[in-house]
Amino acid sequence: MKNKVSITVNGVERSAEVEPRMLLVHFLREELHLTGTHVGCDTTQCGACTVRMNEQAVKSCTVFAVQADGANVTTVEGLAGGDGLHPIQEAFREHHGLQCGFCTPGMMMAASQLLDRYPEPTLEQIKHQLDGNICRCTGYHNIIKAVQSAAEKIKARKQAQGAR
Amino acid sequence: MKLDGEVVLPQGTDETWKRINDPVVLKACIPGCEELERTGEHSFSAVVKVKIGPVGAKFKGNVELTELEYPVSLKLVGAGEGGVAGFAKGGADVKLTEIPEGCKLSYVAEANVGGKIAQLGARLLDGVAKKLADQFFANLAKYEA
Amino acid sequence: MFPAQFEYHRPGSIDEALALLGEYGDDAKLLAGGHSLIPSMKLRLLEPKHLIDLGNIASLKGVRVEGDTVAVGALTTHYGVESSPEAKGALPLLCEVAGQIADPQVRNRGTMGGSLANADPAADWPATALALDAEFICKSDAGERKVPASEWFQGLFTTALEEGEILCGLRFGKLPERTAATYLKLQHPASRFAVVGVSAAVTTDSAGKCVQARIGITGVGTHAARAAKTERLLEGRVLDPANIAAAAALADEGFDAGSDMHFSESDRRELCRAYVERALLGVLERANAGQFQP
Repeated sequence: MKNKVSITVNGVERSAEVEPRMLLVHFLREELHLTGTHVGCDTTQCGACTVRMNEQAVKSCTVFAVQADGANVTTVEGLAGGDGLHPIQEAFREHHGLQCGFCTPGMMMAASQLLDRYPEPTLEQIKHQLDGNICRCTGYHNIIKAVQSAAEKIKARKQAQGAR
Repeated sequence: MKLDGEVVLPQGTDETWKRINDPVVLKACIPGCEELERTGEHSFSAVVKVKIGPVGAKFKGNVELTELEYPVSLKLVGAGEGGVAGFAKGGADVKLTEIPEGCKLSYVAEANVGGKIAQLGARLLDGVAKKLADQFFANLAKYEA
Repeated sequence: MFPAQFEYHRPGSIDEALALLGEYGDDAKLLAGGHSLIPSMKLRLLEPKHLIDLGNIASLKGVRVEGDTVAVGALTTHYGVESSPEAKGALPLLCEVAGQIADPQVRNRGTMGGSLANADPAADWPATALALDAEFICKSDAGERKVPASEWFQGLFTTALEEGEILCGLRFGKLPERTAATYLKLQHPASRFAVVGVSAAVTTDSAGKCVQARIGITGVGTHAARAAKTERLLEGRVLDPANIAAAAALADEGFDAGSDMHFSESDRRELCRAYVERALLGVLERANAGQFQP
């Protein structure tokens, strides 16, 4: 028994017939071959599978694809929204906000929600809002620096756009 | 995960011993037990349906009674099988003591959960296992042939 | 990990959901935010044949202030409560609790009603539902039924919700004037569940005497419950550190506390008493600063 789902992923509507038990993360990785979204713990803890679903950061290992029917999903592949890097990606690169890189896509998707909700985050807010993402290399120090830097970059970009 | 408990049963140790070796009694007393068959002199296979909050499925398992010392102590060794994402096996030391009110049954059980289920399920299963054990012994105390 | 096969239903209204529940009964599970249900299904601890997703029923979502009451739809997410201006204005304790549940991603999906219907012994909302004496609105084919928080939690993962019923919402009545409240939690670092969570709402008169104390505790027993002895000892006495200490010393009484791989029973009881004392000191501080719930 399969259900038809239609999910807008990174701006493109994608339809498929899926088993109801198919998790959103498997839909993204196996149906759409968007493998930037990682499966880490598979138990709603590590956050490596974080994507934005209707703007909200969710752990895609704990959402069925059928629940996302009709939703707008953004994965790390769609974060920049075009060519080049998103300020968060630039900041992670500049500040070496990754070591093995496994947690990075989820970390950046969580960071993107963080910066939408708290454009000028305090250190406490950054820590609290990244609570759902685990870095097994424990490289949190540079991740926090990257998020702080990304906040500055986004602010500067907005000001530049405003000045134009 | 470790469980222990003590229960006073109105029957004497002889009768209690008979009951915990009797598939008919066990089937009636194990909460949610749908099938229980003797597979050897002291071994049984069981299908148990559990329905407590986040646990609601049919589990198959095997139980063997070993180290039998009539009528004071025995050891229960069990293992679960089936579709669960992980495994569960465990054992319980059961001691029976004759007291004026009947029989004091005390148990110390140790369960090992492994695989994926251990990461997340242990937190849930602890309480559920305790509740099932309590229900089992309450049923055993109330059981009338 | 894949759950067992199931059939997925997405009703658009409560009546449709009730009809599906009536049709499939024991073979069906209601899906709210799914952040306890889906992990359990992935572990194959749960294998429902039918999943009834309540996520599309708009009337079950949102926080509304209706006169003196704050009404929260059962499908309102934790973040929905955390970020609700209505909740912030009328009952800020709700926002304070919501912001401490799990992590941001889980708060975006997990729901207040789902948490309260699941009644995990370590979940956060149960303590607060008890401290605020919430009313649980359940619907079935027979109509609507209201259950007070004091009767809701009946055992491990066991509530007053009956077969064929859906928990549709919570109602929080206005607190008496001069009520200060807080939620204090010792969070398990891996699961983020409460090792112990204390929700305390205490009303004092202008002389600082405790008029009413309601303390809900989660994490300690097989289900959340009120610290009845602590409440009784506080009421009628001045809310000061000495009386708080004496009352908190009774906080774990009546709880069926167990041992697990993290804490022995006696550690857990001590944590319970210590966190009740700290929570009450926090309430006292807020009362002294004039920070009362509106």
